[in-house]
Amino acid sequence: MRISELPEIGTKYEIESPKGDKVAVIFLTTGEIELYVLEAGAEKPSVTRLTPEEARRVGSVLTGALLTIEHEDVEVSFSDISDLRINIHVCPVTKGMVGKSIEDLAIRKRTGVTIIALSRKGQSIISPPPETVFEEGDLIVALGEREQIKACAREILGQV
Amino acid sequence: MTFLVDLAIVTVSCLALGLASKYLRQTAIPAYIIAGIILGKSGFDLISSEASYDFIQWLGRVGVILLMFYIGYEFNFKGIKEPGRLFAGCTDFGVNFIAGFALGLLIGMSLIETFILASAVYISSSAITISSLIENKRLIYPEAETVVWLMVFEDIILAILLVVLTSIMSGSLALIPVCLATTLLLIVFTFTLIKRLSNFISPLFERDDEIPILLIFALIFGFSAIAYLLSILLPCHISEVIIAFFLGSALSGVKSSRKLFEATISFKNLFLTIFFFSFGMMFQFQFATLFSAYFILVLFALITLSVSGKFISGALIGKRLHGSLETGLRVGAYTTPRGEFSIVLLAVVIGTRTGNYELLVSLVVAYVIILSIVGSGFAKHGDRIGKGIYKLIRLP
Repeated sequence: MRISELPEIGTKYEIESPKGDKVAVIFLTTGEIELYVLEAGAEKPSVTRLTPEEARRVGSVLTGALLTIEHEDVEVSFSDISDLRINIHVCPVTKGMVGKSIEDLAIRKRTGVTIIALSRKGQSIISPPPETVFEEGDLIVALGEREQIKACAREILGQV
Repeated sequence: MTFLVDLAIVTVSCLALGLASKYLRQTAIPAYIIAGIILGKSGFDLISSEASYDFIQWLGRVGVILLMFYIGYEFNFKGIKEPGRLFAGCTDFGVNFIAGFALGLLIGMSLIETFILASAVYISSSAITISSLIENKRLIYPEAETVVWLMVFEDIILAILLVVLTSIMSGSLALIPVCLATTLLLIVFTFTLIKRLSNFISPLFERDDEIPILLIFALIFGFSAIAYLLSILLPCHISEVIIAFFLGSALSGVKSSRKLFEATISFKNLFLTIFFFSFGMMFQFQFATLFSAYFILVLFALITLSVSGKFISGALIGKRLHGSLETGLRVGAYTTPRGEFSIVLLAVVIGTRTGNYELLVSLVVAYVIILSIVGSGFAKHGDRIGKGIYKLIRLP
């Protein structure tokens, strides 16, 4: 990785693959990010300009956190522990859950998934206690392995 | 309240011509100068009074101060240590300065005029060059770094040239060392004071009210005023823009100053536009001189000489730094545009004494207008032009 300052433009991070392909990321002083890809032997590079938000998304895909579109699902992997992959699932509560508590639904017992946070009317509740009762419009953040998340979606949320 | 009408004339005309040039994908600097020429003294003379002319000029001067403050703040000479950089900077200066100098002497200008002409011819327009590098998607190539570095090096030379030229312009020979010494002392004073005060200044920059912006302008105007007062006390010219440059450079080391620096950028953009207008507005346009065969011949020679100058220096730099003549020719194409700095240099050094330097001023203005347009065309098609010339040279 080569880092160079380009005064009045920004900072350039550059990497060259053994094949001679080049990838450069330029953080412009305007706050936007330009992504350059120059294939070995190509006449012109491909360039795209990203907002910081888009760049972060691209970045998290590259570093291993997976985002799937259907359900906001994030898979976190750790560079030091190769076999540990944790999925974080974000979804709104479904009709069958409203009025029941985490304990009533026995979420952890039935699926192994832990509810780590709850977003209610813009307020977030971190580590909600088991007696927390779900209300309509709540967003839940659940944590577990991929299979456990699937089980949770099937049994608790009633999704197929 | 006629000031309001005059300000409306300035801003509306600049807006219209500026917008038109952006639509044509051209650089806007010549558009603002031309707006000034058309509406100002040598054109329709639409500005209501002498007082208004002074007022607009005064706003323009603020623009130049802010521009130099901006460059000083962004100035970063760490790159000088990389191999070949010093060579590149010096080659660019050597070839292009000599080209302008030779022509000035040839047409019988005085030594000082020749010096100013050579400086104006040497300095490329960072604004045009850098924006065309981004637009042309050249940032991944190693020559982009070289070109950006050349712009930085030109800033260093610009600061030195301004110090030297304003000192020389002070008049008698005996005063030159006095002026040089005073300017250098003031620069050292600025750096020391800012360094001493930095612990006091930086918490003020973190406030959320109007204090930070007031502080930054107080510093800019305060130090500029010191330069001005010193030039009255001593019979020599110490340029406030040089002090603004070094103030910017000193402030960039102060914690939490970046946000405020960014806040000054839109002021710089506004007042600098007014500066280009005011420069055109005061321009004594004389048809007889401007359309004489002699003038056109000299202008043509100057343009040819300086365009080839940049290609030659670019080729030398490309050969040495990147081992490729074609890359060098691209560097040449990218550095061809001239613009803001040539005009700023001329305005700062000559000031309002344009009458005495009619030929020089007319020559540089016409030169900048043409080379900012032609040059940005060169920069825009840098790839193809580089390749074209390369093939042309290699053909036989």
